[in-house]
Amino acid sequence: MTWSLNEVENLSRKAARGAGYSWGLAEEAGKATRWTSAAGWPSAAALAQLLTQTDGIAPSELGPASLSGTWTAKSGALCPITTGAVLCDLAANWANGTTASLGSVRQPMLIIPYVVWAADQTGAALSVSWEGLTLTRAGGETYLDDPNIARQVFKANWVRLSPASIPAVKPTLGARLTRCYRADMSAETTATLTAFAQRTYAPETEESRLGGAGAGLTDND
Amino acid sequence: MVEAIPPRDPNEVMTLARLGSAHQCRLSFMRQLLRRLSREAWEFDVPVFNIDANGVGHAVYTAKGPDRSYSLVAFAHDLPPEQRSDRVIATAWDATFTLFDGVPTQDDITRLSQNVPLQEAGRVSDRELSLSRANRSVRLWDHVVEALASGQQPDETKVGDVGYLMRTTAVYGSGKFGAADREQTRHRPECAGPFQIEMLSVFLTRAFVMDLVEHMARMKAPDRAVPLDPALRRRFGIGNSTGLGMAPFLVTHPALLNAWIAAREEALSRVRSLPEAKETDVQAFRRFVARAKIHADAWTSEHSLQINKLTALRADMTALQAHVQAADLTLDLPWNRLWIWAQEALSIEGQEQLAALLLEPYGDLVDGLTECMSTDEHMTFPIDGTMSVEALQAILEDVYGWALDTDWDTPESHARVWYVSEAKLEPRLGERFEEPIEPYEQPLGPGRDAARLYAALKQTDETTVAALLLAHPEHRHVARRAQIAARLPYAEIRDNTLSAEMLPIDMLRLKLSFFGACHFDPRSDRWLRINMYQHAPFPHELAQTSDDWTLPPLPIAAQ
Repeated sequence: MTWSLNEVENLSRKAARGAGYSWGLAEEAGKATRWTSAAGWPSAAALAQLLTQTDGIAPSELGPASLSGTWTAKSGALCPITTGAVLCDLAANWANGTTASLGSVRQPMLIIPYVVWAADQTGAALSVSWEGLTLTRAGGETYLDDPNIARQVFKANWVRLSPASIPAVKPTLGARLTRCYRADMSAETTATLTAFAQRTYAPETEESRLGGAGAGLTDND
Repeated sequence: MVEAIPPRDPNEVMTLARLGSAHQCRLSFMRQLLRRLSREAWEFDVPVFNIDANGVGHAVYTAKGPDRSYSLVAFAHDLPPEQRSDRVIATAWDATFTLFDGVPTQDDITRLSQNVPLQEAGRVSDRELSLSRANRSVRLWDHVVEALASGQQPDETKVGDVGYLMRTTAVYGSGKFGAADREQTRHRPECAGPFQIEMLSVFLTRAFVMDLVEHMARMKAPDRAVPLDPALRRRFGIGNSTGLGMAPFLVTHPALLNAWIAAREEALSRVRSLPEAKETDVQAFRRFVARAKIHADAWTSEHSLQINKLTALRADMTALQAHVQAADLTLDLPWNRLWIWAQEALSIEGQEQLAALLLEPYGDLVDGLTECMSTDEHMTFPIDGTMSVEALQAILEDVYGWALDTDWDTPESHARVWYVSEAKLEPRLGERFEEPIEPYEQPLGPGRDAARLYAALKQTDETTVAALLLAHPEHRHVARRAQIAARLPYAEIRDNTLSAEMLPIDMLRLKLSFFGACHFDPRSDRWLRINMYQHAPFPHELAQTSDDWTLPPLPIAAQ
């Protein structure tokens, strides 16, 4: 069985909210998981692991403590949702040639879409890299030298974002990423995300059931 | 060169009272669809109609366009009356449907027969584009079957009172329950417009339902049964019951909402800006006004809110008809003069009906705007964090002025909570000060949240939006909305969606009117019934019918 990308996004958004992220961050987490699922990567599993790791940590400790120098988090490793949000917010800075240097990042795969959105917003080509991987977004396309590294790294010791110099021959940037239209999620991942999502649902009472939706009970007319 | 009349101010257009008075128009999605089907000469076929005397079985209705085919796969069931509920939480229906991408094989139908009748509890695949269900209107269904089986036509008054034989509830599209995502089809011209897949599914559903009722009469009395008279047949639409589940859509898709409203407002502005009108267009307009008056007279509701609106609308239509008979509508910005007259003379219902009617004679001028009614929401999603705190403040003052003027300390200002229930995962509306639901609140009160963000901006020492949002991520969602609304004037409902006085049916009506629905009939403040495709041609009649089918025809003598 495969999942639609809509299903992945909706479940991811609710799960992130259920794990304590603000609505705005959760919306972005949903779209980030969708984007990376469309890349063919196991991003729902990455999100499930991330939410499990960060559950109970105050949101203020997950993102960069300061935006000067190398970005680091009070909680040890940066969260890609909170950190990705800042990276995307500052798209105009990266287009001007500024670079960002990050300390260790959890589930770095999930930070990639934020860099993609930042690049697409300004039209500037941007590269994001960590040990063994450089991914470049240029002209609405994504290039990377080794898809397996995006797939397999659960924690990067450092991440760097920089303007990309576009070589005359784009293949030197690596293989162009092609998109998928369906996603795979294991039963375990689905269960984890569903459990987080469950926290956003109000417990049911018969009173709320009748009043809340407001509809009548019979359709025999 | 006469200066163009600008589109209406979003502060006027985007109030709930006005959105909740919207009417279908040339740009509505059903009409877009039927114009395309007719223009491109789509062909229709019923390769399978396998339904027994108890009304149980399945049928396939295929629409063949220039490049692709789409098939409605319909499953008919024998539903005991006690299970007939139009709530989204129902678990059994008289008929269930999916729109299949192409023409299904027997294997596909076998797979679908094990899933589609279960609706939310089943699973479809990326070969399916929609999932829906419908229940009979019992009072009319039985009457029509009996009448046809005895060789008679059904009673016209009864047909008029109900207006349809089956009512759909949810029509699920894009990616729901495993169906194909919109990305998979959006590049196809016939799927590019908003909700074209869902509208095609409902159009074919109506054809199936009418064939089914005639089939049931034939099974009952093979020797005596007659088919419906074609003119009477067209008076049957397909009903729909819609509840709160639809309301959040308008808030969660601000760029799309803007695309719809901006297209309509641009269309209205173009017609109002015409320096003169041809006599033939004026005559056509007068006929549309007369037809809209018949429509208003036939539109009934038992809900006090809607009864008041309908009383006002009928008076409006009488006044409008008298005015346009006497007024010169050919010279000196005639439609703008009429519009200015209406601002004083008509209620909001009548004004919005006029806005829709003014577009009718001018298809060449406005129909092309349907190309602008889709949007790539990803383009407007990212926040510009390099924006200064002062600039965001100025946006909030402009877009959310009403919210900054609201006293959010009063309980009435935020009495409601939008939440999602555990049981069926459907959106609900609760009372903040009476139920323990606030921790589960969905972000569907942009005005209140904008006021909170504004207060934070006033207090912060940060200079950029990014720095503020890093420290206060709870404001991210509304900062995004504000930046979208600064670029897209009709993106935001400029009214209080949390107020004790808020009527969710206003949000439902706006969306349904863009679908092209008529006869809004609220059953409470939060759910309503409508009629879709009433008076529309059936598939085999498309070639002989023009686009102006929505309003009831004039009596023969007046045509």
